Parts: sequence; C-alpha cells; structure tokens
Amino acid sequence: MAPIRDHSHLVNSLATSTHLETSASQLDSVPRHLEDSIRYETSRLSQAAGILLSLPQEIIAQSIIVMQRFWVGPEGGSMLEYDPQDVASAAMYLCAKPSGFSLSPRSILTTFECLRSLNCKYDESLIEKGPFETEWRLSDGEYETRREQLYKVEAQILRTLGFQTHVALPYTLSMNYLQTLEAFHDDKGPVLARRVFAHLNSALLSPQLLYLTHQPCALATASIYLAAREVGALLPEAEWWEVFDVEREELGFLVVALRSMEAFAVQEKRQWESRVVPLTIHDVRGEIERERMLEADE
Amino acid sequence: MDKRHPNSFQQLEKLGEGTYATVFKGRNGQTGAFVALKEIHLDSEEGTPSTAIREISLMKELKHTNIVSLYDVIHTENKLMLVFEYMDKDLKKYMDSYQSPTNPSAPRGALDPDVIKSFMYQLLLGTAFCHENRVLHRDLKPQNLLTNTSGQLKLADFGLARAFGIPVNTFSNEVVTLWYRAPDVLLGSRTYNTSIDIWSAGCIMAEMYTGRPLFPGTTNEDQLLKIFRLMGTPSERSWPGITSFPEYKTTWPVYATQELRAILPQVDALGIQLLNSMLQVRPEMRCSAQQALAHPWFADVYPQARKGEALGGQGGGFKGM
Repeated sequence: MAPIRDHSHLVNSLATSTHLETSASQLDSVPRHLEDSIRYETSRLSQAAGILLSLPQEIIAQSIIVMQRFWVGPEGGSMLEYDPQDVASAAMYLCAKPSGFSLSPRSILTTFECLRSLNCKYDESLIEKGPFETEWRLSDGEYETRREQLYKVEAQILRTLGFQTHVALPYTLSMNYLQTLEAFHDDKGPVLARRVFAHLNSALLSPQLLYLTHQPCALATASIYLAAREVGALLPEAEWWEVFDVEREELGFLVVALRSMEAFAVQEKRQWESRVVPLTIHDVRGEIERERMLEADE
Repeated sequence: MDKRHPNSFQQLEKLGEGTYATVFKGRNGQTGAFVALKEIHLDSEEGTPSTAIREISLMKELKHTNIVSLYDVIHTENKLMLVFEYMDKDLKKYMDSYQSPTNPSAPRGALDPDVIKSFMYQLLLGTAFCHENRVLHRDLKPQNLLTNTSGQLKLADFGLARAFGIPVNTFSNEVVTLWYRAPDVLLGSRTYNTSIDIWSAGCIMAEMYTGRPLFPGTTNEDQLLKIFRLMGTPSERSWPGITSFPEYKTTWPVYATQELRAILPQVDALGIQLLNSMLQVRPEMRCSAQQALAHPWFADVYPQARKGEALGGQGGGFKGM
C-alpha cells in the first residue's frame, strides 16, 4: 500500500492485491458470488437507510466504503462471524458520529429494522408507496440488546480497519472537474452533472469494489467521460483526463466497470426475485447449506 | 492490528486528565522506553467516543516532527488505549516551572526570547502541516503543546480537530478553556477556518513572553470583552458583517485599539509585527501559518527548530496498525 505523501484529504489508501485475492468470508467457505450479493445488498440497504435518515450522500458513501474495507482481505471480517446487517448499521453509526450529522443508536437501529422488514424491496416500497404507514418501534429489551451489539460491531470495525475511517470521495472533485472543463457553459451541464453523480453512486455498489481500488480523481474522471457520452455533452477533443492524473488505460477500465453496473443489478434482482438475500449469520449459513443441497441433487 | 495485551506496557504515574481520557506515563516492557499511555474513557452512551475515532484516524495521517507520534492503539473488549511518543512536559508546566537563568528579574513563567522563537517556529510548522492536510487543530493551548529536553515542541490532543461545533463543556466537568479561542468563534461563527489556529498561536506567543495568558476570560462574553479592550471594539466599519454574528451585542462598551508594543514591551519590533498579523480580530486579515513562518522575525531561529521543514506526511494502509 503506497504511503500517502501529500493532499491526504484527496486520496485513499487502496486495497492491496492480498486484500482482494481472498476474504475472511471466503476462507470461511462463503462462495464468492454469495459474498458479492450480500455486499451489494448491504450497500443498497445502507443507501436506503441513509436516505431515510436524511444523511448527506458523503456520509452514506463513507459508510458503504468503510463496510467494504471491513469485509475485504483475509484479516477482515467474515460474514459467518458478523451479521452483515449489523456491519451495515454499525458502519453508518460510526461514520455519522464524528460528523455534524451524528445519529442516535435508536434512530439507526429502528431505520435498519424497518427497512429489513421490506425484504430488500426498498425502491418499490419507498418510492412508489410513499411514506410508511406502520409505526416502527423496537421494544426496550430488544433495543438494549441491539445497541450493545451495535457498539460491539463498531469496535470490531475500528479494530479491523486500524481506525482508518477517513475516506476521500469524488463528488466535489467531479464538480470541480466539470467546471474546469467548462461543462456548465453548455445547456446540458446540469443533466450531465446529475448523470455523473448517478454513476458515482452506482459505483459504490460495484462488485469490483471500485472505491477500494481506484482514487477519487479516476472515479470522477471516468464518470464524467461516460456521462458526457450518454447525454451527448461535448468535452474537449484532447486527452483531457490526463490533466486530472488519470491514464487512458485506467479510464477505459473504469468506464467498462461503470457500464457493467446495470447488467449486474438486473442479474442480482433476477437471482433474488423470489427470495431474500441473507443478511444474518444464521441466514448466510442456511443459504450455503441450501446451495450445497442443490449441487448434491444435480 | 496489534493484539498485544495492555500489560506489555508498565503503567507509571498519572500525567494528566485530558478532555476525554486519562494520560499515564508508561514504560515499554520490552525496550524499557518511556511512552505516554492515553486511556480513553469508554462510555456506554455513545460506543467508541467520536473524539477517539477522530483523533486516531487523524494521527495516523499526520506524521510530522512537530506533531506527537501515535505508536500504537490497544483496543480490547473494554479498554481503548493510545500509545504516544513520550514528551517531558507540556508547555504550561514548562512555563509554570521556568525561571530565567539569564534574567533573574524576569517574571516566573516568562521564557527567554530565543526559546520563544524556537517554540513558535515549531508550533507554526506543526500547524502549517495540519492546515496543508485540511485539519484544523481547534484547541491549541499550552497544555496541548508538548516539549522535551532537546527543546522540541509538538502538537498533541487532536480530539477536537476536524469536529463540528466546539463544545463548551466536556463530559468531565472541566470547562474547555476560552482563552485561546478566536473572536469569530466566540461571536458564534460556524464558518471559521484555519485562521482560528493562528489566533491561538498568537495568544500563546504573547503568553510565553509574560508568563500569563493574554486574554484570561471567564465566560464567552467576558472573553470577547477582554479581547476588545486590547484590540478595540469592532464595528460594522472596522469589520463589515460583524452585526450579523449570533453573539453580536449592541451593548458592548466601545474600547479604543491599544498598541501591542505598549502591553508587551519585552517583545522586539519584528516580533510585535508578527504578533500583530496573527492577532487580527477579523479572521480574513490574519496571516496563514506559512506566511508566519516566512516572517523575518524567524531569520535567526535555532537551526534545530527547522527540523520539521520539508517533511511530507506518511500514511499507512487502511488495515492494521
């Protein structure tokens, strides 16, 4: 892992190849595809919870990245040792706490509990049906237990990450780049900017862990490149990405990765159409068992 | 991450009670070297304290000669302990116990000009490094500056750095001191920036000359008035926009601006000039740490004080310590 020399607020320490090769979950025999599904699902869960809790997107993104850092590598956390949904809520609690948007354990726990009851159908439930009708409340006893668990998982995330919770993000950077490229001189500027943010948000859910493997400048550049093509905005003819310290090869890789997100999301949706992604140790174990039995039947 | 048991450090005497922790002197069981052990009070109301999360994640990024080093974090089920580089004394204790050998008539606590210059230079080097990395210390005061017998000075206690909103009270009943707080913060500004640390540095510089705090206020209001008595009561004319600050009062007595030279006759002309540019009530008029370092007053600073120059920061990976 390269040491950070300067401008540490703009760069992240990236995952090494050892981190990416295997994970504690895989060592515990969680199949890679199931791990991907769980990671994707918990990231969606965090995104939905963050919106319900009115957190700024930066904090939502930070908590998703912190969670991904936790799962990665042989020294990381295993999905058979920590309930994935607890890791999601603890990561969000931990990222919000030192910011100006700290949350009470109760609001975090209630929100996650409520979302879990939707069986992963957040979009339909949140967007189409509008506000919830049911009132959600954890009983005092249950709240006490959950809160203890929240603190325990929080401490474990901090231990595993060595307190490296600082995350540099590409959002503001991408706006600076758009301004530098004079993208707002064009009528399409605002549409382009929205599309750039959409790609940056989708990239958080990538099974390729793009935020752990690429610096914010590269993510911002690739999102701009792809978004400009999609909305038909004109960018300079020259190799403008070089100005932002991104090489053609990395740009190409990231553009392909961003474009593959939609297919990945569709596939995930289809795969879990009639079932629920396991987000507790118990359910993960059950799913592994089920897959084994299916294999044995074949 | 180090899984070592806390007992591999021998705990010696208590060095102080911080804002959210107790600090002990410690000895490394293997090497015998001294360390400072900062034991974080774990409180059942918030899990791992946000001050600790902030301090540790920042200290891992900020590696500089003039910033105290974090060696290790010992994090067990019920204990969180930070292992820091050991320094002999904080600047407050250093001043309290100092009597000039060259000038016996100097008041107790007043330091020698050469030492002040060296300490100020190191304080500003550490501060400049923080600011380059977009970190505000926000709580610079003599108690948070550590010194050792080789004349080094380092910034410590980053528990409030980069936080939102500066608390008036901590969990222990100790009141956070207002003496080094910038007027814009006292006026209730939420958009303060690096200049708040420069104000604190100016206050500390004056205190090193006299051995006494420059603005020893007791309440927010009293603190502001102590500043105005010296720097003059600001008006919309001298500070456009001042009337829109939350803490602005029309009832302030109108004080005229005093000459710093008259209050601090022991400071040389160049020093007064530097002090003046740091102690500007309007934040945008204050010099930056880099500008202060370039001030001619520092032309003859001890060469040892320059050790922290041209040093980049070093960060680690995100896993393990």
